[in-house]
Amino acid sequence: MSQLRKDPIVGRWTIIATERARRPAAFVDPQATDTDQKHCPYCQEINAKGVYASHGVKVINSPSPILDDSKPFERRGHGLYDIAHSYGSHEIVIEAPEHIANMADLSVEQIKAVFQTYALRMQVHRKNPFIEYILAYKNYGVAAGSRNIGHSRSQIMAVPVLPMRVKDKTSGAEKYFDFHERCLFCDMVRQEMGNKERVVVENEHFVVITPFASRFPFETWVLPKDHHSDFADGIAGHEDSLASIMKDILLRLKVGLNDPAYNYMIQTSPVQDPSSFKEKYHWHIELMPRLTRVAGFERGTGFYICPIPPEMSASFLREVDINA
Amino acid sequence: MPELRRDPVVGRWVIIDSDHSKGPLDFPKDDNTPTRQEICPFCPGREHQTPHEVDAVRPLKSPADSPGWLVRTVPNKFPVLSSDGFLEKEGIGIYDQMTGVGAHEVLIEGPDHDKSLTELTREEMQAVISQYQGRFRKLSNDSRFKYVVIFKNFGSSAGATVEHSHSQIIALPMVPKTVLEELKGAEYYHQYRGRCVFCDVISQEYQDKERIVVENSGFLAFCPYAPRYAFETWIIPKGHMADFSNTDEASQAHLAQILQDVLKKIKTALGNPSYNYYLHTAPIGYANSACYHWHIEIIPKLTRSVGFEWGTGLHIVPTFPQDSARYLREA
Repeated sequence: MSQLRKDPIVGRWTIIATERARRPAAFVDPQATDTDQKHCPYCQEINAKGVYASHGVKVINSPSPILDDSKPFERRGHGLYDIAHSYGSHEIVIEAPEHIANMADLSVEQIKAVFQTYALRMQVHRKNPFIEYILAYKNYGVAAGSRNIGHSRSQIMAVPVLPMRVKDKTSGAEKYFDFHERCLFCDMVRQEMGNKERVVVENEHFVVITPFASRFPFETWVLPKDHHSDFADGIAGHEDSLASIMKDILLRLKVGLNDPAYNYMIQTSPVQDPSSFKEKYHWHIELMPRLTRVAGFERGTGFYICPIPPEMSASFLREVDINA
Repeated sequence: MPELRRDPVVGRWVIIDSDHSKGPLDFPKDDNTPTRQEICPFCPGREHQTPHEVDAVRPLKSPADSPGWLVRTVPNKFPVLSSDGFLEKEGIGIYDQMTGVGAHEVLIEGPDHDKSLTELTREEMQAVISQYQGRFRKLSNDSRFKYVVIFKNFGSSAGATVEHSHSQIIALPMVPKTVLEELKGAEYYHQYRGRCVFCDVISQEYQDKERIVVENSGFLAFCPYAPRYAFETWIIPKGHMADFSNTDEASQAHLAQILQDVLKKIKTALGNPSYNYYLHTAPIGYANSACYHWHIEIIPKLTRSVGFEWGTGLHIVPTFPQDSARYLREA
């Protein structure tokens, strides 16, 4: 059975997924499959019975789940180490019935339905008292970790511990709020919109920036202009705006950078005790094209070397003609 | 001059390499072709193609920047940080930045283009370790620096762009985030229990046994209990020691032996994969820390990070560490 284990030094949880247990030989160059439409499992799944379906979007339980909620959540210790049952859920969101690989090529309506689906699934999972965090994310392309690249889809994971990077973000925002009595992200939106050099595109409710301290070339953040800590509640009434800006930025990446692999992650506030984050956190999306490799220095220090200033990334992306 | 910028949310510093900025279309899609021998600037006889050497092991006392070396350290021709200039800090609204002052050196591990670390003789490997320590001590004396990182990228999918076996050394004007996290955790543990958490990890690894890969009289190699990556392996001195620069000649010999052993095991068990390793030690000035304990972390590059890991820092590891350790023990 899979396990959650906590590093005794830094307190970081890890998931050891034995359902995917691999012997040494199984690591040798895993090739991604680019299934044609006839053999695409997701083209078939779209008609099968799933967890949820609406507007052409289908949610299914992962066929090789990393987390499982069939047994109650349990924690125990082993000497100085901490272990927990890998409780939670792992769902696949099939974004459209059509066999289209890149979300950039879906219609604004379809993209809207995908983000609405994330919100609805989050509202379901957060009722579970054992769930601490829910992440909706996407891996597009081999370099972004996708193993089957033909049919656009994303994933939702609900986990029973507060992950380390989420804690970093929320506690940074909390510290800022405690001192300034303002939301850090609201200040960021104001400063970026005033200064403009890192703004890629904006619409009524959202602004896309390349962050000041970008880790990767062409890393972008999609920030809601209005303050809201939680994604699932915060997008109400802004779904059209979000879908059209996502389509816009994904097309800019596709056209400008020659269809790169990318990941995006929705960063929303933790599930438990939402009122404590209400004023202090601000949901957003991190979008990262995967153009460079992470090497020893980055792994060892957490210190990233970005080979191009974000101002240059932003001006390049601004000038991409997505109608060409 | 490169710039250091701080993320206002999580406090992570990044280096913005504005000196040799790449254009958007200069990022090759997954094909790093490492430099071939015919044009390799690290090969003997081409010493003039690198910046002037800062240190070398030359058994026959040959002059600097000429052949006859066993290990040779040169400044990186394309440094990510600049060794000239002073540290100047500035705030811009909610953002913080400083000048990219630091050092970036390349340590060429041997004259032979085709020899990797696992093929060096014991003496050659020892020369590499002693050069690590020499450079580490030297850079630690520069008052502008707070931390020195020694690391290695082997194989193109671990980020190596030159075939010829080499490591890199970067001196930084601040303590990096992952080290700060370890320090904070170790200090917290020490306050609570009055012991070094790493020493306690070592004693529990001896009790459990199943995650031990190999040991010698100075060091233990094991797969950590909560790894981030499959086959992640740590090498740690058995006795408490915060700072790498305090290792004596005997422990350097032991380190050379165990590092080479582990790399050979990884090569055999996993079919010569790409890998990274890096050395974590106490920040400059904390050599006598009672709570920190230096070590090397080795990470074979077998899987790709996905959005879930980027978004949460929660890593998904497909192999139990006791199984990784068993495969490596038996290799």
